[in-house]
Parts: sequence; structure tokens; C-alpha cells
Amino acid sequence: MGVVTSPNVKRKYGAPSFERYSWFFMRISGLIMFLAVTFHLLYMHMVVKVENITFENIVERWNGPYGLLWKAFDLSLLLLGMLHGYNGVRWSINDYIHHKGWNLALRILLYILAGILITAGLAVLINGPGDLR
Amino acid sequence: MTAVLESIYRGITYRGNEGHWAWILHRVSGLGIALFLSLHIVSIFLVGIGPKAYGWVHATLYVSPPAKILEVFLIFGVLYHAANGMRIIIIDFFPALGKYQRLIVRIELVIVILVFIPAAIITLASLF
Repeated sequence: MGVVTSPNVKRKYGAPSFERYSWFFMRISGLIMFLAVTFHLLYMHMVVKVENITFENIVERWNGPYGLLWKAFDLSLLLLGMLHGYNGVRWSINDYIHHKGWNLALRILLYILAGILITAGLAVLINGPGDLR
Repeated sequence: MTAVLESIYRGITYRGNEGHWAWILHRVSGLGIALFLSLHIVSIFLVGIGPKAYGWVHATLYVSPPAKILEVFLIFGVLYHAANGMRIIIIDFFPALGKYQRLIVRIELVIVILVFIPAAIITLASLF
């Protein structure tokens, strides 16, 4: 995987490397999300039901007695999902875009987008529901 | 551009049977889920703006009929990606099972379809 980011660098077999941690992270985050996303989907689609996930419903959950727990759960989904998902997109870019310049340009674009989305998610979790419009 | 198309073409035409198709589906579903996750975060960000902004995205992205149909694809993608991810983890940590990997892919697909059918019915039921 990744012609560009995994060149034949002189490294001892099995020595720690970024790509090795990245491989391990995908397994661990995948395993945790298997449970967390199953709960998220069953709860939101079968208990609450998508039609009922209104603004008021979200406010109730976030500001209710278990609000902090829900926010922590949503935070873990945000971070695990974004890092797992965007690392997967990074692997795909490395698999298909072998031109050094284009590869770097696309990855920088991807990192900027990931930064914006994680910041947006953190912002709403920290500030809570708004009342501008 | 031709180099990109060639690597994609080679990725599709490599003849690896079950494992190869499992990999293609994992990549396509993964990219699809990453796209949805991005929209999902933007939609929840609108909760921070206010009820009107979120109400609009709830009506268009989550409960409109076209959204319900796309949701069925999303559900299949998530179920498949989850099941196939588990298969990858199992085979990574118990390499001896690699002998049975074709059989495991088939069993996995049966499980995914068995869970997908009721999930799709429940999702589309709200349209009628």
C-alpha cells in the first residue's frame, strides 16, 4: 500500500514506523467503532427513529441528565470516524496517485478538510446548540 | 491522468476472486461512508447555528424520499464495511485462518445480506 509514502527506506524489519501505527490504529478504531456505531445506529434508527431527531431532540439529549455522557460518546465517534475514514482516503490517494506533486497536493487538501470538519464537530460539542437561526 | 486510470483499471481487473471483490467493496463502501461522515458532521454543526438551519438539513438530508433511498445504500455500505473489517482483523491476527478465507468471505456476505434485508425494509417503510 502506498507507493509514495512507503518507499524502500532502510529500516529494520518490524521496527516501528508511522505506517505500522496507522495499520494498527485502523484495526483498533475499527473494532471500537464496530460496537459504537452499532449502538449509534440501533439507538438513532430503532429507538429514537430518524424522523424524530429534531433540533429539540438533540438539545434534550445534550443538555439532559446524561448530556456529558452523550457528548463524550459523540466526541469518540467524531474522532475515531474522522481519523479512520480520512486515513482510508489517504491510503486510496496513495494507491492511485503516484505523481509526487499531485499526491502531496491532494493529501494537503485532505488534511485541511479533515482539520475543518474535526474543528466544526468539536465547536458544536463544546458550544452546544445555538439559537442564531 | 492515464497513470491514475491505469492503476484503477489494474485494481479492478486483477483476478483475485472472493478476496479481490471483498477488497473492492471495502474500498468503495469506505469512501462512500467517509463522504457521508463529512456531510453528517456539517449537518450536526448546523445544530450549533440554530433550529432553522438544522431543521432544513434534517428535512433534506435525512427524511426526504431521495435521502431514504440513499440511506439504504449507506446501510449496506456500513454493514458490509463493518463485517468485512472484522474479517480482516480476524485474518490479520489469526493468519492460519487464511486457508479458509474464501469460505469466510461467503459466510460474511450471507450474514451481511441477512441483516441488510430487515434493515432496508425498516428504512423504506417510512416512505409508505
